[in-house]
Amino acid sequence: MKALYQIVWLPPLMSFVLITGLIECSITLMDLPAYLAPRPSAVALALWVHAEELLKATWHTGVAALLGLGMSALLGALLAITLASHPLIRRAFYPYAVFFQTVPIIAIAPMLVIWFGYGQGAVVAASFIVSVFPIIANTLNGLLSTDPALLDLFRIAKASSLHTLFKLRIPGAIPHFLTGLRVASGLAVIGAIVGEFVADSYEDGGGIGTAVEIALKEQRTDLVFAAVLMSSLLGLLIFWLVSGLNQITLRRWHLGEFKDS
Amino acid sequence: MDGASFRIIGLVMVMLISSACKNASDDQRVGAPFKADIQLNWVPEPEFGGYYAARDSGLFDQEHLEVELKPGGPGIPTLQLIESGQVTFGITTADNILIARDRGADLVALFALYQNLPEGIMVHAERGLGALEDVFKGGTLAMEPGTPTFKVLEKRFGFHHLHVVPYTNNLAPFLHDPLLAQQCYLTAEPIAARRAGASPQVFPISDTGYNPYSGVLVTKRDVLIKHKEEVRRLIRALKAGWTAYLKDPTPANQTMHQLNPTMDEATFEASSIVQTPFIIGMPATPIGQMNLERWQTLSGQLVELGLIQPSDPQSAFLPSE
Amino acid sequence: MKHRQGAGLKLRRIHRQFDGRPVLKHLDLDIAPGEFLAIIGPSGCGKSTLLRLIADLDQPDQGTLDRSEEDVDLAFVFQDPCLLPWRSVIENVALPLELQGVPHHHRMPAAEALLKTVGLEEAQGKFPQQLSGGMKMRVSLARALITRPDLLLLDEPFAALDDITRHHLDDHLQSLWLNHPMTVVFVTHSLSEAVYLADRVILLSAGGGDITLDYKVPLAHPRTPATRVSTPFIDHLRIVSEAFELHARAAE
Repeated sequence: MKALYQIVWLPPLMSFVLITGLIECSITLMDLPAYLAPRPSAVALALWVHAEELLKATWHTGVAALLGLGMSALLGALLAITLASHPLIRRAFYPYAVFFQTVPIIAIAPMLVIWFGYGQGAVVAASFIVSVFPIIANTLNGLLSTDPALLDLFRIAKASSLHTLFKLRIPGAIPHFLTGLRVASGLAVIGAIVGEFVADSYEDGGGIGTAVEIALKEQRTDLVFAAVLMSSLLGLLIFWLVSGLNQITLRRWHLGEFKDS
Repeated sequence: MDGASFRIIGLVMVMLISSACKNASDDQRVGAPFKADIQLNWVPEPEFGGYYAARDSGLFDQEHLEVELKPGGPGIPTLQLIESGQVTFGITTADNILIARDRGADLVALFALYQNLPEGIMVHAERGLGALEDVFKGGTLAMEPGTPTFKVLEKRFGFHHLHVVPYTNNLAPFLHDPLLAQQCYLTAEPIAARRAGASPQVFPISDTGYNPYSGVLVTKRDVLIKHKEEVRRLIRALKAGWTAYLKDPTPANQTMHQLNPTMDEATFEASSIVQTPFIIGMPATPIGQMNLERWQTLSGQLVELGLIQPSDPQSAFLPSE
Repeated sequence: MKHRQGAGLKLRRIHRQFDGRPVLKHLDLDIAPGEFLAIIGPSGCGKSTLLRLIADLDQPDQGTLDRSEEDVDLAFVFQDPCLLPWRSVIENVALPLELQGVPHHHRMPAAEALLKTVGLEEAQGKFPQQLSGGMKMRVSLARALITRPDLLLLDEPFAALDDITRHHLDDHLQSLWLNHPMTVVFVTHSLSEAVYLADRVILLSAGGGDITLDYKVPLAHPRTPATRVSTPFIDHLRIVSEAFELHARAAE
């Protein structure tokens, strides 16, 4: 039988109950009004009452974030391979890849509207810009940290540089790429929400960014926190998806480590 | 003359001026002046002209007040800052005050700058639209979601025939798209759009009958109860400040231009001219004055929009003396 | 199918230095086709550098390196097994053929046959992480031999293994050499391993310039575990050890 503490979901649940309980008690004791700090119970109620809109908004944001993350994965990996191909290319272009990390998205977001129009295009673009750098940096690191002995092995086998790339360097960089993808998963959600602040289309109710903005304008702090909670859950969900992908892909790396019997 | 002499002369002058001020007020007020800060809801611009005029021409000092004006920006949570006691006074709109009161904040409006709402929908004149309702027949409308104005327009005209998108205080999408309409302050965006080469046409929101006071100075009831006398002096100084600003906005505009250099002096001037009728009102109303009937109308409208529960707005504002 | 006795090598006045510090100083060495040569020496004597020069992974600053044939097919076994973790055992073994463009239906049977000779036919579908250190090294040996090289270079391949595993792998290596005629250059720091496996043992001096001992081991192949405890083996080992001791002391 499993000991209680071994059940995966139990420790986070316990800490959740403890923390929300503490927040609830302190807000009650300090008698803070709801518009300054909503009680967890009020947030839970808002989640329940507005479940349908919030789920729709989360779906709306989730689709955009996954598209942004997908673009980051694809273009980030391709960019990393290009950068890894020659030190000169790396020196010439890597500083511009760093640009993606430092770009204040909120400042260039209005330009995204001009380039991609209002709606999903600009939101996905914002998600992409915010999430692509960790993928470039990690994949590049993986491509450049190939074991020198393995490179010697391929040289001795007179492998072509394409073979070395596709049969050694790229597969060897996959764990690094997946690490980047995990970091990027949360950023993709943040990017999509920031994108929604400037470019969301309200026709179908909009995404989490719009939900937050409306709740702020209506001075509904409980609803603001409920929407923020949904964005955290969305980030967690995408993180789990990526971690699952990570585990399936890296199964071979870790598959039933050898044990002397 | 060397620097030291300058400094001594300067010091003497400061002493003379401050003693003169003291003499003017010593008869009624002793001790340190009442310290207060006012949270503006945007960067310095003509909407706050009277505040800077009052500060720079010593009107606050005359009332034995030590006032700090805190410039704001997008997303500044003015009402939360007041309620949590981080600032004493703030500037917001009447509808936000009623919504905050509905959520449990005991706020009181003290002084309303704009008798009529200087907000509108700006379109390209080339479209040849005749009235506000025509805006909703097609094209794109850029607007912050969730505001009472947004809800008023949605309820009145419906958003079924046009594409509604966010507005982020950036004119580029409007300049870029001839079919894009956007929310605006009549005192700001149309001037900027015209300077950028567009020919904007503006439909005021108040055409719909939704016309809350705006540029409203607000504080917590606790402050009002504890400092009734100081609040009265502050309002007096503001009235004097605004009267001075309406007479000659240039000195305050210059001060504000230095604090907000991205807005040039010509725009300051144009904007202060545009805003004057909104301050004076139709029919002309004494500066800053509010009446119960307008608050009741607003309260009813917000109830209708589903934003607040019905309540009597009598205690929401400080009637003029 | 080539019928070769392996590649011969002729090294003349080979000089190699790193950052101004000479590692190999004007070294002369001849390696006969089909010979099993063991290179020993104190650490830092340039054993590995010499092996990399022979493998064409590095170029000498001076001197010449001639091979008996134009197109020498060589293989290298590193101290680390260097298996690709994302490939199964058999895919790892077949890799060199894959890189040469040998089609799947030719290279897989070849890999399977080689795995059988190193006793790993059961493990062909496993992944490297599921294998012990000794098993990984056997996979590495099988991979090195799949192209039927003329010249096999090994750089302290069994150094990280325990004695029993190491003796097993010595025997595997010996039988592979006996079944696939080829030249073997084997760098080791185990004197007994060198004497047990090699036709000829050379001892490099600490400065890398001189071959302080060039010793033929006149024991017949195949050598067996019994060889390790035979008097002639122990005599040869003593001679090599004494030379090594003398040299190591002289170096200090």
